[in-house]
Amino acid sequence: MNRAVPRRSTGRGVLLLIAAAAVAVMSGIDFRSLHRGDPLYPPDSLSRHRHLSDYFPRLRHTAGDTDVYIFEGEKPGGHLLILGGTHPNEPAGFIATVVLLENTRVARGKVVIVPQANRSGFTHNDPFEGNPQRFAIPTGAGERWFRYGSRLTNPVHQWPDPALHVNPSGQKLAGAEARNLNRSYPGRRGGGLTEQVAFAVMQLLDQERIDMAVDLHEAAPEYPVINAIVFHSRSAELAAMTLMELQLAGMDFRLEESPLNLRGLSHREWGDHAGIHAFLLESANASHGRLKGRPSQDLILLGKDKNYVKAAELGRLFVSFDERGIPLKARVARHIAAIKSLLVGWEQLHPDLGLTVTGWPDAGAVRADGIGRFLHPPQ
Amino acid sequence: MALIYHLIVFYITLNLAVYLLREKRLRWQASAAVVLVMFLLRLFLIK
Repeated sequence: MNRAVPRRSTGRGVLLLIAAAAVAVMSGIDFRSLHRGDPLYPPDSLSRHRHLSDYFPRLRHTAGDTDVYIFEGEKPGGHLLILGGTHPNEPAGFIATVVLLENTRVARGKVVIVPQANRSGFTHNDPFEGNPQRFAIPTGAGERWFRYGSRLTNPVHQWPDPALHVNPSGQKLAGAEARNLNRSYPGRRGGGLTEQVAFAVMQLLDQERIDMAVDLHEAAPEYPVINAIVFHSRSAELAAMTLMELQLAGMDFRLEESPLNLRGLSHREWGDHAGIHAFLLESANASHGRLKGRPSQDLILLGKDKNYVKAAELGRLFVSFDERGIPLKARVARHIAAIKSLLVGWEQLHPDLGLTVTGWPDAGAVRADGIGRFLHPPQ
Repeated sequence: MALIYHLIVFYITLNLAVYLLREKRLRWQASAAVVLVMFLLRLFLIK
């Protein structure tokens, strides 16, 4: 039997091999572009630009290193940390810190802003979700593009996942949670990349002598802890004062005390291990929910989804949802309003540790005029 | 661990390439080419 492969098939095979290599190169270039950071534009009032590796050198030249922006006033006062991007598929958490970063002026005290806490999570998307890689926010002079990432650290930076993960606080979790920064506190010096990032954040809290820290997040509309201020038990009074301040401004939030039996989260471990006032804010984000329809930039920016409208009609959600959706600008406005209200309460409870911050936009202005008005134009 | 991973992926990638060159039927060659794209990305840990 003649077993020789016809020349035509071999030639075709070579062509397909070259085509496969070309597609792999083009895809590779596209995937690698996700590892480039989003340009941010801190104002002249920035005192210091550091990196997380400055607080934990083992992170240097790793995917876990990220930017830390520090604004210090001339007068001493309280020290505030605002952390965004713990879960890069929760855009309001990241974008709110960008808005604050690009508009911060501190006269008294110190404000530390970390926009992309889990930098590795911004380098990839969750598989099988079909999420857009980026979304654009129009400014007065062009569009600012930002990455839409994954909830977890990129598996090329930390692998393999264990079958069962026991976090540094002893909580048993699914293996993939080893790459969830908000289950990794207080971190481990010799742990995986995510635990090292958590450890570095704890070092930052200590070395910058932070008094109060806020972790910005979003939750799917079907999730019960939503539009919420989660507080460590030592901060109950401040949380209640913040809620009253927000309600006077016409904004509805719910308070959730950090549960004692859920360990590894920022609002629990920052308070327990660093002894600070720890808060986590949640807004409602349809783009990372389980019930969403087709993912798109519009879903991220406008927060409109027919499936969620239906789910709301069936009473399956923990937040009101209609055809108007919950746009990103409204979610960012909520975060900004909550942080500003926290500072009001903080000043009343700790007048010797007050913070005077100017430049942050009014939440109503963000809702009315959009986020882009308060972002630096692209360069 | 990383070396073992790369060796396994490289072996499968090589087999796919050889299969693609030896196979006579276009449909099967095209299928192998599609899988090869993913294995090339895996080989270089591009994600």
